[in-house]
Amino acid sequence: MKEVDTTQVYPQDPNKTYGLMELVRGTKPTVGPAPEDMVYSWPHLLIRELVIFLTVAACLLVAAFLFNAPLEELANPNHPPNPAKAPWYFLGLQELVSYSAFVGGVVVPGLLVVALILVPYIDRKKVGVGIWFARERWLANGTFLAFLILMCILIIVGMYFRGPNWGFVVPWE
Amino acid sequence: MAPDKSTEKKSAGMEFFENVYRSIFRYGRIPQDGEGASYAVFNNLFLHIHPVKVSRHSLKFTYTFGLGVIATSLFLILTFTGVWLMFYYYPSATEAYGRMLDLRSSVDFGFVLRNVHKWAAEAMVFFVVLHMARVFLTGAYKPPREFNWVIGVILLLLTLGLSFTGYLLPWDQLAFWAITVGTSIAGYAPVIGEPLRQFLLGSDSVGQEALIRFYVLHVVILPGLLYVFLAVHFWRIRKDGGLSHPSENEPQDVAEKGAEL
Amino acid sequence: MKKENLRMQQPEMDRRQFHSRLGWLGVAASGAIAAAGNLLYLKPAVDYGPPTRIRVGRPEEYKEGLKEIYENERIVVVCEKDGFAAISVKCTHLGCTVRTSDSGFECPCHGSQFDNDGFVTGGPAPAPLNWYQISLTPNGELEVDKSVVVPSGTYFKV
Ligand code: FES
Repeated sequence: MKEVDTTQVYPQDPNKTYGLMELVRGTKPTVGPAPEDMVYSWPHLLIRELVIFLTVAACLLVAAFLFNAPLEELANPNHPPNPAKAPWYFLGLQELVSYSAFVGGVVVPGLLVVALILVPYIDRKKVGVGIWFARERWLANGTFLAFLILMCILIIVGMYFRGPNWGFVVPWE
Repeated sequence: MAPDKSTEKKSAGMEFFENVYRSIFRYGRIPQDGEGASYAVFNNLFLHIHPVKVSRHSLKFTYTFGLGVIATSLFLILTFTGVWLMFYYYPSATEAYGRMLDLRSSVDFGFVLRNVHKWAAEAMVFFVVLHMARVFLTGAYKPPREFNWVIGVILLLLTLGLSFTGYLLPWDQLAFWAITVGTSIAGYAPVIGEPLRQFLLGSDSVGQEALIRFYVLHVVILPGLLYVFLAVHFWRIRKDGGLSHPSENEPQDVAEKGAEL
Repeated sequence: MKKENLRMQQPEMDRRQFHSRLGWLGVAASGAIAAAGNLLYLKPAVDYGPPTRIRVGRPEEYKEGLKEIYENERIVVVCEKDGFAAISVKCTHLGCTVRTSDSGFECPCHGSQFDNDGFVTGGPAPAPLNWYQISLTPNGELEVDKSVVVPSGTYFKV
């Protein structure tokens, strides 16, 4: 008699009934994670969402009582404040715009959006999924982080290092 | 159906209450078992955007840091406070600024609503970007989630649009000049630039026409679009097999072969 | 039997396909027309802004070398020995209001600089400041028309 391999991928649960549900074509001998990796959304997921929502709401309320939203004088078309600054998330673009309006305001943001949309159609290899900073993805992650950090630097420069006439100032002087 | 386990006799009043309750929540109070938990989720309009079961990995805080949920929470809070602010706001170049002052000093809790709205708006931009960074750095945009990433990019743009249109509404110096500069940048785009600027401003420069247009965009069009895309975004999470999971990775040798081909 | 056979043949299907395509084309076309109509609706047709023609006083009121700023109209009227000029104070970079400086004009927003004739001498502004057409009204007043841009250096002689 031949030795039969009786080790089971998923050990049988005596409380459950089993049947063949589906045949799947695939490259892998197993069908993904064991069902035992799963937990019920109620309460495990919902309670986490509730906690996050309440934390967010609480933080906002505290912030609202501590810091007033800015409100300057009434709009006056004749006197631009010096310097006139865009909202903070656009300050990186404003910094670029102060060199060239077309490059900073149209070309760079346009290319960034197109690149972002194309990312998943260019990088399709299924490696490093679900893992933070997977080593195999160093190139993709590095590029993304480089852009993110560059944007942050531009925003910080725009926020703190730009004074009257968009000249360079040092905030601690 | 979940069996009613209680056998004691109930008063008529209690029974009435019970019947009403059961007509709303078919499957009992707090779910006690797997069956109850399943029914609780998929029989509820608001909860059924979730699958009945989720993988442990996707619940790990250090995997997602809850960034998507935070962004969504902020958006819900923004909708709420935004609608409330609409009761007092008046989109007129001569009135708007005065209403801001009233909200700040006269209206009870006016400053709280305005401040929450403002800080939530800033935070939403921040957390949407962080959420996007999380998805990228964990490689979660790979097939089959490509299209959901694209929807995510659209949601980011809508968030920026909402924030930008909201910026003009207080009609203070900050608002006026930020929008003057911002819309002029749009004017530099080839072909569509100038029509786009005209469409946004309704005139040659920032004025009453621009205010009413930004107002409509800010309170109706952009939030409406954002809700639609958000619904698709959530729906696709389920249809694409939940959050990304390391087990989806191809074994290293297969992946390498795929790269050679 | 024969009739049925005929019906199964290719041309019959093509006819169907043709009509179906025609139908879809109609749907697409009406959609496009509706979209175009909606876009046109949003295009600002009526200008509710300030008037484009501005009276800026009699020529005699000006002395040579004077720069008179009209804040709300966003122009500066310059009187030179060559005549009068109306120069826009709207920065050609991103639309901030420029202010007069020793050497001409400068913009507070991103630091563009212009000379007395509005030509760019520094900063990101891509074009010189606009010059507007000036004319004399029948009762002898100077009138600036902000809707007509004239080449820089076109002075108006009274
Ligand atoms: S708007 Fe004048 S320099 Fe940018």
